Amino acid sequence: MVNRGRVLILMSPSVLFLGLLFLLPLGLMALFSFRAGSFGAERDVFTLSHYQEFLGNTIMQRLLGRSVVLSLWVSLYTVLLAYPIAYYLSFRAGAMKFTLLSLIIVPAWVSYLLRVLSWKVILGSNGALASFLEWLGFTVDSPLLLYSADAVVITLVYVWVPFVALPIFTALERIDRSLLDAAADLGCSRWQAFTRVTLPLSLPGVLAGFLFVFIPTVGEYVTPALVGGPDGIMIGNIILDQFLRALNWPMGALLSLVMLVVVLLPLIFLGRFIRLADLAGA
Amino acid sequence: MKNFGRQVYTINFLVFLLVVGLGLAACGGETNETPVASGDNDSTVTEVDQTSDEPLVILEWSGYDAIGYPHFFAPFTSQYGEQLEELLSYSFFAEDAEAFAKMQSGFHADLVHPCNSWWQLYVDQGLVQPIDTSRLSNWAGIQADFAQMGQFNGQQYFIPWDWGYESMLVRTDLVPELPDSWADLWDEQYAGHVVLWDSGESNYAITALALGLDPWNTTPEDDERIKQKLLELKPNLLTYWTDYTEAYELPTGDDAWIVVNAWQDAYAYVDSEGFDVTYVQPEEGRLGWVCGFGIGADAVNVDLIYEYLDAAIAPESMAAFANEYWYGSANLDAIPLIDEYIVDFMELDQAESLTERTVLYQPLTEEQRQTRVDLWDEVKASP
Repeated sequence: MVNRGRVLILMSPSVLFLGLLFLLPLGLMALFSFRAGSFGAERDVFTLSHYQEFLGNTIMQRLLGRSVVLSLWVSLYTVLLAYPIAYYLSFRAGAMKFTLLSLIIVPAWVSYLLRVLSWKVILGSNGALASFLEWLGFTVDSPLLLYSADAVVITLVYVWVPFVALPIFTALERIDRSLLDAAADLGCSRWQAFTRVTLPLSLPGVLAGFLFVFIPTVGEYVTPALVGGPDGIMIGNIILDQFLRALNWPMGALLSLVMLVVVLLPLIFLGRFIRLADLAGA
Repeated sequence: MKNFGRQVYTINFLVFLLVVGLGLAACGGETNETPVASGDNDSTVTEVDQTSDEPLVILEWSGYDAIGYPHFFAPFTSQYGEQLEELLSYSFFAEDAEAFAKMQSGFHADLVHPCNSWWQLYVDQGLVQPIDTSRLSNWAGIQADFAQMGQFNGQQYFIPWDWGYESMLVRTDLVPELPDSWADLWDEQYAGHVVLWDSGESNYAITALALGLDPWNTTPEDDERIKQKLLELKPNLLTYWTDYTEAYELPTGDDAWIVVNAWQDAYAYVDSEGFDVTYVQPEEGRLGWVCGFGIGADAVNVDLIYEYLDAAIAPESMAAFANEYWYGSANLDAIPLIDEYIVDFMELDQAESLTERTVLYQPLTEEQRQTRVDLWDEVKASP
C-alpha cells in the first residue's frame, strides 16, 4: 500500500516549483494583458482595450496565422526527416545503435546561436551552397536562400531533427519485434508490415515529436531575426518589439497569451494520443 | 487506488491555487521590485568623500565606460586611477527603450545616457533631476544649441555629450548609381540590396523625408502615407539589422549595397578595412542625433557625479572618443584636439550649423513614440 504522506511530500517540491516559477509568472502575464499601461499610474488601471485592438487588427492576426502555418511545415519536415533516422537506428543499426544516437545528439550541445549562424554562412550568396551550385554551372541569385521564410524553415528543421529523432526512436524501440515476425508469418510484405504494424505503433512518438517542435517554433524570434529577412518575420518578433521597443507590455502579454492558446488547442486535442515517456526519451 | 489518486490530485491542485492566489495578491498591484544597485558593496575607499558607500550606477551604452575606455573620462580616471572599479558600476543597454524601461521599473541609476528624442520623456516621468551647470568647469565650451536642447522648464536636465549623423552607408563598388536622396532608397535598381535598421523612429523619419514631409510635424493622414510608403520599400530590402555589429559587418559582404541607418563609426570601420564605401549626404540632409547625460532623480553621491560629468565634457575626453568613434563632441574646445581628417570629413567643427545641415531628431511625446513603433510593427508584420 502506498504511503500517501510520502507521495505528497515527494510531489510538493515540484508542485511548488511549477506553481511559483511557471504558473505564477504565467498568471501575472495574463493579468498584464488587461492593464492599461506598462508603468506608473497606467499600470493599475484595468481595461479590455488591448483585446479590442487585437481583435480589430487583421495584420497581427494574419501574422499569427502565418507563424502557425510555418511552424506546421517545420514540424512536418522535421518529422519526415527524423523518422527514417530513428527507424534506421532502431531496426538496422544493431550494435552501433547508441553510438549513432549520441552522434545525432552531439550537435545539440553546440550553441544554438552558432548553429543558426552557420546556416547564414551556408545559405548566403558566397556560401557553401551557392559555391556548389556555381561549380555545377548554375548562375546564382544573390542572396540565394538567405533572408527568406525558406531559410527560417531550413534552419529550424536542422535544429530540431535531433530532438524529434529521440521520441520516435523510443517509440520504435518499444515495438515488440515478434509482432513483425507475426506479420511476416501472416504473409505481409516488408512494406505492408511497416505500414500496418510499425507505423501505427510508433504514432504516439511521432505525435510527441511533432508537438515537441511545433510548440516552441510558433514563438521563435531568434532564427527569423537572423536569417528571416523581411519575409521571415514571425509573431515572436513582434512580441519582442512590443515588450522591448514599444514598451507596451500589455500588448506583448496579450499576443503571448493568444499564441499560447493557439498552441494549446492541438496539444489538448492530440494529447490523448501521446505517451509522456516518449517525450522524455525514456 | 483510484480514490487515492484523486485525493493526491485534489490536494496538489489546492496547493497550486493557494500559491498562485497568494502570489497574484501580493504582486498584483505593486510596482516592480526594489531598486537594485548593481556592483559590489565592498568599499575600502577612504580618499573619496561619498555620502554613500555604494558605487555610482551608470546606465550607459556599451563602449563608453570609464573602465574600458579611461581616455574618454581622462581627468576622472587619472585622479581615481586604481579605485575606478570600486567607484563605478555600469549597466549597459543597447537601445534607448531598454534604458527607459529600466528606469521606469525602478532601477536606481545615478547617471543615464539617453539620446535627445527621449529627453522629454525622462523629464515628464520625473526620472532625472536638474543639473547645476555652475559646478561643471568645462560647461562653457558646450555648444549653445545642444545645451538648449537639454533644457526643460527653464532648467538644465541633460548635458549633451556626443552627437552624430545617421545616413546611408553605400558600397560604391557595387551600386550602379550613387543615391543622393532618401527617396532613392525606393529605386528598383537597389532591389534586394538595401538593409534597414529595425527602428520605427528612424524609418518613420527617413520615409517622411522621402515624401517631403517634416517627420516631427505630421498628421494622422501623413502617418498612413508613411506606412504605405514603407510597405513599398519592403521589396527592396535584403533584411533588417537590429544589432549594431551587423551594421559593421553587412557592408563588408557583397549583398548589402546600402545600409541604413549607419552612424559614422560604422563608416570609419568599413573604410579602414579597405572597402570602397561612402557616407552619403542626401539632399534632404542626413539625420542627426545628440545624446547626453542626465542625473538620476534619486542619485545620492552627487559630488562624485559632478566630478565624473565634468571629466566627461573635458576637451581631452571629448577628443578621445571623437577620434575613436568619429562622433562629434558637444564641447567645441575639443575640436583642435581631434584628428583633422575626421573633423573635415564629418564637419565636426560646424556643430552650430548641425540643426541646419541635418534633420536633427526632436524630442518625442509618448504618443508619438508609440505611433512610430506601432506603425513600424505593422509594416514588419505585413506580408
